[in-house]
Amino acid sequence: MSAATNPYPPSRSGWLKNNAGWLALTLLLLALPFLAALLDGQTPANVLASETGNAKFMQGLLIEVFILAIYAISYDLILGVTGLLSFGHAMFFAVGAYATGIALKTMGWGLGQTLLAVIVASIVQALLFALVLPRVKGITFALVTLGLASVFSIVVRSSDLAAYTGADVGLQGVIVPALLNTNTARFRFYVIALLATVLVYLVYRRFVDSPTGRVCIAIRENENRALMLGYNTFTFKLVALLLSSAAAAFAGMLHALHQPIVSPNVASLGYTVAALLMILIGGVGTLSGALFGAAVFRLLEFFLDRWFGEIANSLLGLIYIGLVMFLPYGIVGTWRARSFQIKQGWDRLLRLLHLQHRAP
Amino acid sequence: MPDEIILETRHLRREFGALVAVADVTMQVKARSLHSIIGPNGAGKTTFFNLLSGNIPPTGGQVLFKGQDITNLPLHRTAHLGIGRSFQITNIFPNLTVLENIRLACQALGKDNFRLFQSHRRFRQYEERAWVVAAQVGLQERALMPARTLPHGDQRKLELGMILAPDPELLLLDEPTAGMASEQVPELLALIQQIQAAGQKTVMLVEHNMNVVMSVSDRITVMHQGRVLAEGAPAEIAANETVQTAYLGGLYEISGQ
Ligand SMILES: Nc1ncnc2c1ncn2[C@@H]1O[C@H](COP(=O)(O)OP(=O)(O)OP(=O)(O)O)[C@@H](O)[C@H]1O
Ligand SMILES: [Mg+2]
Repeated sequence: MSAATNPYPPSRSGWLKNNAGWLALTLLLLALPFLAALLDGQTPANVLASETGNAKFMQGLLIEVFILAIYAISYDLILGVTGLLSFGHAMFFAVGAYATGIALKTMGWGLGQTLLAVIVASIVQALLFALVLPRVKGITFALVTLGLASVFSIVVRSSDLAAYTGADVGLQGVIVPALLNTNTARFRFYVIALLATVLVYLVYRRFVDSPTGRVCIAIRENENRALMLGYNTFTFKLVALLLSSAAAAFAGMLHALHQPIVSPNVASLGYTVAALLMILIGGVGTLSGALFGAAVFRLLEFFLDRWFGEIANSLLGLIYIGLVMFLPYGIVGTWRARSFQIKQGWDRLLRLLHLQHRAP
Repeated sequence: MPDEIILETRHLRREFGALVAVADVTMQVKARSLHSIIGPNGAGKTTFFNLLSGNIPPTGGQVLFKGQDITNLPLHRTAHLGIGRSFQITNIFPNLTVLENIRLACQALGKDNFRLFQSHRRFRQYEERAWVVAAQVGLQERALMPARTLPHGDQRKLELGMILAPDPELLLLDEPTAGMASEQVPELLALIQQIQAAGQKTVMLVEHNMNVVMSVSDRITVMHQGRVLAEGAPAEIAANETVQTAYLGGLYEISGQ
């Protein structure tokens, strides 16, 4: 039998070319505050000085998008990539937010210590979730994680801990260090949040392409088979949980710094559902979909609220139903699956509108 | 040692409630032999394999692999010992490509499973091996198609490829030809026999096509209602009166080929 050789040897060139779109988007987002300032009659110096105006406001909104994007992509790593259905993801975010708030406000720690606390907390909670992993599968895991997150939610709301967590009102007036003050140094915060999002995306994408990440995908596809091939699937799920928890807790930290309020709502089931919605909109398991999903999610909410006020929520619900019905694989997933058909569809549409000549 | 025993079971037993699916099976499998298990539907063949591979725990008895007790080994350890198991019902990664299915089978026993931030494509040896295996089972042309899009017969070949990839010593093949078009069956079994002979491997095979079983097997065990009804060389089984009356008679025609 003739030895087969790999007809598609890997090529290592072309990273920049393959990522030109992402690079352009990042640069555009970096330039956006200045463009907005110019349109508003401000100067770039005004942007750097965090002066009030449309540019500052827009940065604030986009920072929220970036934070949600990191949060959503961290959910996609465990749900979309590894196939772990957790209903407790809000806790991953909230622990980071509360750790930050408590460290800065109650403990009076510096930024470095706070970051360390967030990292430690993120590891501990991932291990906590992993503890139940070998015992429960599928929907049972979802319910157990929901239970864990509910306990956390009840604890932070409890009046006994009001001195630390602020109970029902949450942590008000987190003292934000000058270095990361979103009010006095908004552009710096904006750049950090943007770069953090890009970094998390790149690191995750690399992970999913790594030998470890490929096994996570295999676990999502057919865990029993992965076990039979010789993979101790628990370890791989633990790695995914740790990476997910780290990013989610970091997003929570940015959230606490940016607001600077930590409301107990971020620990609620609703916040997990938000993560689910974002990756459903963007495309489950695609990673990049989480980024688009977060943008659609936050911007839709914002503009519908501005334009329609009271009925915005009902409209949102309808739009989500529509999105899920017409884009069953989310924005990115549907795009990947259908890019060919979509192109054909556009061609047909353009022909109908007589914008393009009939193909010969 | 021509008579070296690679796998042995001692009073292996599995109950499902009141049903005894495998009842005190004591069996020895010689290394480098092709040992078939036959028996009517519900005889307990798949359950027996599940006990061997660790998919389900036995309610009694022992499994020994090369003299080592593997009865209660975690499922993911079996592959590392050199045991590969294929399934009666296709058990693959449906949305991954054929190549990736096989590549994952190769990677499993390597040392690179925890390279978190390097592309899997940098670990060329698994990919190269996957191409070789894909060609071996005749799936080279379809290597880059998602596994779910393959016709059933090709999925069976993929299932076999995933077992062959890590080059195990013992292959447990549960009806590898199940649901295949009948003209493809002899071809696949010939491939299995060739792999077994060329690689000095031990194959345990469950198969319903009697003519093929009789021609490829070194040894045959007949199971019936969870028990071993008879065991011997193909000719002995074909001539065995109990087997003829209890199972083969009427159901299968054994020609004297
Ligand atoms: N998980 C289970 N729970 C309950 N009963 C089971 C289970 N698995 C198998 N059985 C029963 O055990 C008996 C043996 O089944 P098994 O699948 O091992 O037979 P088999 O010899 O492989 O049959 P076939 O030729 O149809 O594949 C059957 O009566 C079956 O219904
Ligand atoms: Mg069976």
